[in-house]
Amino acid sequence: MIARFARPLAAAAAALFLASLCAGTALAAPDARTLLKDSENRHRTKTQQYAGDLTVVNKDGKVRKKGWRSYREGYAGDAKNLIRFTDPPEVKGVGFLSLSRPGSDNPDQWLYLPSMKRERRIAPQDRYASFVGTDFNYEDMEEFDHEKYKVSLIGEETAEGVPCYVIAAIPNDKGTKSVYQKIILYLRKDILYLVREDLIRKGEKEPAKRMILSDLKNVEGHWVAGRMEMTDLKKGSKTTVNLKQITFNRPHPASRFTLQNLTREGGD
Amino acid sequence: MILPLLLLISLLLFPFTPFTAEANDFSGYAELKGFAYSECYDGEPYGAGSGTLFSKWEHRPGEAQLTASLRAEWLTSPQDELSFDPADRRLRRSPLSLRDLWVRLPLAPSHDVEFGRFQLGWGQTDGYSPADAFLPRDLTDPFTDEKLPLWALRMSGQEESFRYQAVLVPVTTPWRLPPLGSRYAPIAAGALPQQTVLREREDDPPVPGFVALRLLATRGDWDLGLWIRTGVRPAPLLQFSLDPALQTGAAPVVSVGRRYAREKAVGVELSRVAGTYVLRAELAGLLSKDAELGDAVIGTASVERGFGDGKLLVTLAANAIDPPVNQTLLFDRALLPALIAAWNQTEPWGDWKLVWTVGLEHMDGVAKGEVGYNMTDTWKITTGGDLPYGSENGALGALKKARRLYLALRRSW
Repeated sequence: MIARFARPLAAAAAALFLASLCAGTALAAPDARTLLKDSENRHRTKTQQYAGDLTVVNKDGKVRKKGWRSYREGYAGDAKNLIRFTDPPEVKGVGFLSLSRPGSDNPDQWLYLPSMKRERRIAPQDRYASFVGTDFNYEDMEEFDHEKYKVSLIGEETAEGVPCYVIAAIPNDKGTKSVYQKIILYLRKDILYLVREDLIRKGEKEPAKRMILSDLKNVEGHWVAGRMEMTDLKKGSKTTVNLKQITFNRPHPASRFTLQNLTREGGD
Repeated sequence: MILPLLLLISLLLFPFTPFTAEANDFSGYAELKGFAYSECYDGEPYGAGSGTLFSKWEHRPGEAQLTASLRAEWLTSPQDELSFDPADRRLRRSPLSLRDLWVRLPLAPSHDVEFGRFQLGWGQTDGYSPADAFLPRDLTDPFTDEKLPLWALRMSGQEESFRYQAVLVPVTTPWRLPPLGSRYAPIAAGALPQQTVLREREDDPPVPGFVALRLLATRGDWDLGLWIRTGVRPAPLLQFSLDPALQTGAAPVVSVGRRYAREKAVGVELSRVAGTYVLRAELAGLLSKDAELGDAVIGTASVERGFGDGKLLVTLAANAIDPPVNQTLLFDRALLPALIAAWNQTEPWGDWKLVWTVGLEHMDGVAKGEVGYNMTDTWKITTGGDLPYGSENGALGALKKARRLYLALRRSW
């Protein structure tokens, strides 16, 4: 599974690295599913945490910034994610908990709003909604499970300055409630790392959003993009995410991914 | 009293001192707000203003959490003298008030104990929740629905999908009412003889508060809750009595006292995700031997649906038992039966909301609209209006004299 928001905020980064360190491995007839599975198996991490900051620039050039901490455990089918905003003051303390539910396309998701002093469950429809005013929506924050998509290799091209495999991912017909009709993944050929993603909404032909991952670095043996940029091609706005203090495979406290922890004011 | 006040003031000013330690986290805001009213009511001017400074300090030594916050405010309208009122028990609020002062300690990985002064938030149905509605509010400005923090001890925890909260509130923090006779008062202008002088007594609320236990479970799309509580109900029962001894002219002088009844309550909460909707419902039985309060059976149902970056919420709430007194004076039940509809929308530039609350008995209500514009991440300008309407016998219609527009500028840090 490729972490969607791994993309930026979350669990993702780790899962996104489809990094294949075996650059010499023969990939004579690469198959999209095989590529995704292979890299996932090699580079998945059990846990991840980081501090992030993001900058949202709207079409008029107005800049807004946010900061958060992100924790992940597991992957798509059993992934648990917790995000806690630290900045700006308006959203400080807002918490988001997502727990995958076996056998369901929709993870259980809750928001904690400090002003209400209690958590609120979020309905799947809310996946369309912008996540606290960024160019990411709630679906972007879920783990991306390629098993829920039909994937096919549609070509090879240079993207972001590096040769890439281009893979199309179309949601399976059965029970998928994705915001997107198709996702185009650009995997860097040498390390099989996702460097770009074009997101096409339902009923549309052209990508509505594009995510570019850059500033790749190797942290604790895992490739990770230190910078992710999501552009809303229709609105003209852009959200840039920088990841800091990244760690992998360190055990989380037993209570981290619980509602009890989500509602701890001032907590993780 | 001077020493505690100095300590509070130092907390308020602490973020501006140069020795802020990195382990400490300071946040807060300063806000200027202006109001324009539709009428000049009983000598109160068409316009009013306020300035607020709020400061919060958070510290996290290990797994513990310490939090303190303080609010200072200045009003153009008559304001109570500076006083030390750490439990918000006085009739009017002090210009300086303690909002948070609490410690949370871990007992086990998913079990905590918390003590000090903090705010509680219960229930499932937004807009009106019988689990939450009894908690004390500060109605100094009845349109803001400001909940008062409590001095309390809370134990909470989670095992698998079960959670619990046990709360002991040793001191009653009463509902704070606006000055009776003011434009914000919940009593209609015609309810008392013209020129009646209301003298509110500074009665001491009872010391004991209440205890409550809340049990929650999550299973699949369902969230279930069961709660019980017993103790002093924080909303007062008003006692009006003619006071000829204070009468100097022709106008009658009515003395207003407050007393507080004991109440037991039990309730259930239910919520379910159903496709793109979240359905919520609550049912509560409130039992009191007090003849002026009586029993209540309050049920609520709400439906919530997201539309992109917007959210629509509709809540219906009703009490199956007619109260023995004018329910306007029961405060937490004043509105019932009621319909609350709210639309909140987040925009790239800020947010806006529309809220329509209707009291179905008197068909009175209030329509509220608000637009917030984020000038930067820390500067925000907000404007809006509150438009109460309908019968003055209803809790909202009685506020018609307080129709207003407002404009606020806030700097957060």
